Amino acid sequence: MLVIDKLSIFYGGIQAVRDVSLEVAEGEMVALIGPNGAGKSSLLNGISGVVRSSSGTVTLQGQPLHASAAHKVARAGLIQVPEGRLVLGEQTVMENLLLGELALGRRQPTQSLQQIFDLFPILHERQKQYAGSLSGGQQQMLAIGRALMGSPKVLLLDEPSLGLAPIVIEQVFGALQKLNQAGMTILLVEQNAKRALEVSNRAYVIEGGRIVHQGLSAAMRDDPVMMEHYLGGPLADNSGTRREDLHA
Amino acid sequence: MMSFLAAYHPLIDLLLLNCGCAFGQYIVLRAGAFSIANAGLTSIGAYTAAILATRYGIGLGGTLLCSTAVGLVVAILLSLPLARLRGVYQAIATLAFVQIVLTLALYAEGLTGGALGLNAIPKLVGTPTLLICVLAVFYLMAALDRTRLGQAFDAIRQDEIVAATLGVQIASTQVVAFALSGAISGLFGGLIALHTYSIDPNQFGFPMLVSLLAMVVLGGRRSIYGPIVGATILTLLPEIARPLSDNRTLVHGIMLILIIVFLPRGVVDSLRGLSFRKPRRLQQGVASDVPSA
Repeated sequence: MLVIDKLSIFYGGIQAVRDVSLEVAEGEMVALIGPNGAGKSSLLNGISGVVRSSSGTVTLQGQPLHASAAHKVARAGLIQVPEGRLVLGEQTVMENLLLGELALGRRQPTQSLQQIFDLFPILHERQKQYAGSLSGGQQQMLAIGRALMGSPKVLLLDEPSLGLAPIVIEQVFGALQKLNQAGMTILLVEQNAKRALEVSNRAYVIEGGRIVHQGLSAAMRDDPVMMEHYLGGPLADNSGTRREDLHA
Repeated sequence: MMSFLAAYHPLIDLLLLNCGCAFGQYIVLRAGAFSIANAGLTSIGAYTAAILATRYGIGLGGTLLCSTAVGLVVAILLSLPLARLRGVYQAIATLAFVQIVLTLALYAEGLTGGALGLNAIPKLVGTPTLLICVLAVFYLMAALDRTRLGQAFDAIRQDEIVAATLGVQIASTQVVAFALSGAISGLFGGLIALHTYSIDPNQFGFPMLVSLLAMVVLGGRRSIYGPIVGATILTLLPEIARPLSDNRTLVHGIMLILIIVFLPRGVVDSLRGLSFRKPRRLQQGVASDVPSA
């Protein structure tokens, strides 16, 4: 469905992403994990067109998108939930959700408002409230719901657990799992490797801007050497300490 | 009753003109462009109308059409270099634009009459015309509020990255905002010229720029009622506070500071926060299971 081939991204003279190739098949949830500063978010921003890639290709169902501006990528159905749950705080939950329809372009909607409310009942409850007055977890749910309003073919998520309490992280990941089971194709960028490997089918490990490992999530989770080497030791539970340097 | 109204007639006209000009400023601010070029655009519209009506004897309709068109074209041209700038740099560039227009009006004496301005402009505009124009602009804004363009404006103003990931094309959307702003400013510049017998360059300088900005900041940048409320307060306040008229700028300044500190979103948008608005498409969207387009 989504094929990334030898994508490179530069910031000035610094290369943040080096010849990264990865694939997401239809209906799959793929995790992209790695330590802080490994290039995860850069890669995602490169895929969604928020940052221009310098070489390599991004194709969605055979349609090349690497040369397209961010708004065209979104309208093609590759919709990103930006890092830091950027909801539009001056507008209500409902207005935020309706804004998501802008990304539909000429495509037919496959997601409905009702489905999104079923997934996140709290959004239904709080629909008239200003988005800025929601809690962090609710804002993340709103950001995901808003992206869903554009009926994405592939949903790109950038660190959905960032800054959330463990119990809220569970809710968000639970919703992502439900979405995936309902057929949504998801590419998930996460620093919380343990949780990401639990919900995804396959995973790529990125370090220093390169893919250094890939495989089935279940296998990776059970591989102590891999966990030790790339992800900072056999993970007891790093959800509470995820801002620390995972290289240590 | 009529005589009572008649006494306030000039004030009502002034209020309508200010409302229109405030809408010109409002539309760019709503779209997230920090442009303060409107005084310049209004000036261009006013001179266009004054020259056409005085020297060529063109009628009301033709004159206003030309003012609107000239404002529109200049604003689009202005928006091209501005698309590369953000925030305060846009404000600086547009401030320079206002100064350039002012200087041109002062030194192109043959065309603009220099510092003396243009006089003996036929008065073709009365309160009904002003009212119709303000209502037309208000209707346009209300219609815009319901379209995807209005939503796109709001998204860009709050966060450009989010707007882009939602499929909003930022550059072209802002060009549309500039074009609308230019057309409205040009139109009301034309109305000012055809309403007040004479215009001079300094009336479209820094004080006008500040008061337009103040009207929108005071009223609110989001709601379409914001510019009207802001213009009303700032037009009527000097009348109510006549004893303070010597210190009018001081009163303006203090009010602006108070508003920015205590009602940073402006009067209307802050009040709107107190009462929950019912989203228009809500029931429809949930009931039919398909989000309406």
